[in-house]
Amino acid sequence: MSQEQDKEQTRPESPAAALINIKNLRKVFKRDETETVVLENFSLEIGKGELITLVGPSGCGKTTILRLIAGLTEPTSGEVTINGKPCTVPGADRGMVFQDFALFPWRSVRKNVEFGLEIAGVPKEERREKAEKYIKLAGLEKFIDARVHELSGGMKQRVGIARALVGHPDVILMDEPFGALDAQTRNIMQVQLLKILEKTDQTIIFVTHSVDEAVFLSDRIIVLTKRPASIIEIIDIPWPRPRDRADPEFTALRKKILTELEEENVMNN
Amino acid sequence: MSTVAGIKYDENNRYHRFARTVVISAISLSLFFLVWWAVSIIAIKPAIPTPLQTWNALVDVYLNGDRMTGISLGKYVSSSMMTFLKGFLLALAVAVPVGLILGYSKLLRDFANPVIEVLRPIAPIAWAPIFILSLGYSTGPILVVFVGIFFPLLTNVVFGVRKIDPNWIDAAKTLGASQLQVFYKVMMPSAIPYVMNGIKIGLGIGWMCIVAAELYATPLGGIGFYLAEQATAGNWPGAYAALVVIAILGLLTIGVADYVHRIISKRMGMAV
Ligand SMILES: Nc1ncnc2c1ncn2[C@@H]1O[C@H](COP(=O)(O)OP(=O)(O)OP(=O)(O)O)[C@@H](O)[C@H]1O
Ligand SMILES: [Mg+2]
Repeated sequence: MSQEQDKEQTRPESPAAALINIKNLRKVFKRDETETVVLENFSLEIGKGELITLVGPSGCGKTTILRLIAGLTEPTSGEVTINGKPCTVPGADRGMVFQDFALFPWRSVRKNVEFGLEIAGVPKEERREKAEKYIKLAGLEKFIDARVHELSGGMKQRVGIARALVGHPDVILMDEPFGALDAQTRNIMQVQLLKILEKTDQTIIFVTHSVDEAVFLSDRIIVLTKRPASIIEIIDIPWPRPRDRADPEFTALRKKILTELEEENVMNN
Repeated sequence: MSTVAGIKYDENNRYHRFARTVVISAISLSLFFLVWWAVSIIAIKPAIPTPLQTWNALVDVYLNGDRMTGISLGKYVSSSMMTFLKGFLLALAVAVPVGLILGYSKLLRDFANPVIEVLRPIAPIAWAPIFILSLGYSTGPILVVFVGIFFPLLTNVVFGVRKIDPNWIDAAKTLGASQLQVFYKVMMPSAIPYVMNGIKIGLGIGWMCIVAAELYATPLGGIGFYLAEQATAGNWPGAYAALVVIAILGLLTIGVADYVHRIISKRMGMAV
């Protein structure tokens, strides 16, 4: 397992080359007298084409980080930029995939995937063509005119991924996208996700509770502390894909991260 | 109800379910008529005619019209229907946009709520004398129906907009939707099943209102007028026949609304 050189080149070292720049981010939720400090002085750089995963204890602020990048919520202080532009409002350059799919039940699979293109004012013919391409990529051509409630969980999330990919955003934010699926479907989805991503150069920021999933997918894993989230460790995984979950290196790394997280959970309790 | 004529009831067979509903409804209605009949026989009061007397009065008004005014039953019914339709359409035209906006904007909702909460408890029928005596016999009843349908419809539309999964809104935003696009591409379609539910509830209340309003609306007729006229004249079977007509009209309207609701909910991918 060594393709270290290749990966080193694609992963930028300097902030200037980073696609996403998270700088001194602070996020506080305030209501009456209670203040929840979710992020404190959080900084991270993410390069173009990277697949990074965030793992950390429940409630540490992973979703908040994604929502800040998406522009769905604003930082208390600090800033997130993509291509140098601040991420204060949502934009078509950042797609998002949700844990509970968030598909529009009144639309067919095709119409769900076309949603972003409609918004962007893409002409009808082109819209159909693009949507069909991504629906095919997601292996759903048989269900193109189906309604959302006719699909299984795995199929729903493939629609969710196709919907996020079709507008070709620079970044796709995935918040525990496979968290609602059973273990078997989950593994299949991971393989399919990598297959879909092979054909694109998109940057993926992936949140998961499954360390196994993180090791299987990531170029880099960001291991987070409890709230307020700060980085315990950044782990580069330069191994080629597809990865073998039974490989001793794989299991050793998984174990190491799990131990780190366990220690984090025991600490300050 | 498990084995009838050697056939075992199967909950998963739609014909069996349908037959079950028919049989139970038939038994229930037969019992109702039996009790009605027994009460009228025992009471021996002219104000409680037997089902048969009522039926005869119904046939009579159907064939010969109102013997006192010469107006046909069809005319009464269509007059009521028109009033009903106008009040309903007016309520729809006002409650749906207002509900969408109030559901969307917390500021406007908080602003409108005190007024709505003050007006809502007033029974729509209580407006009848005011509307009819101040606005006349044609506009008055329409407005009574309007008030009856407006509030349940409004409440449902507001509820529908507010019940939207916030993830849908976030998803639309991350796909580039503006506030306005979120409103008409996400909030409006997702509120449609609730609008239909509001319509269903409103229609039932609307029928109660129209009849009550027509009790006042002497010169213009309507089935409510016929009811009041027959009761005043002491022609009880005729009054009861009017009640039967009202019940059937109400059932028909709600049946249609129910059907449309189901179709739309299905089309919108929502469970009913
Ligand atoms: N809108 C909000 N208002 C108040 N508090 C919030 C809000 N959103 C999140 N929080 C709080 O911020 C903290 C971090 O939430 P966040 O959802 O980012 O955690 P997470 O790491 O994604 O958790 P999980 O692993 O359970 O998904 C939690 O304590 C949560 O209660
Ligand atoms: Mg989360």
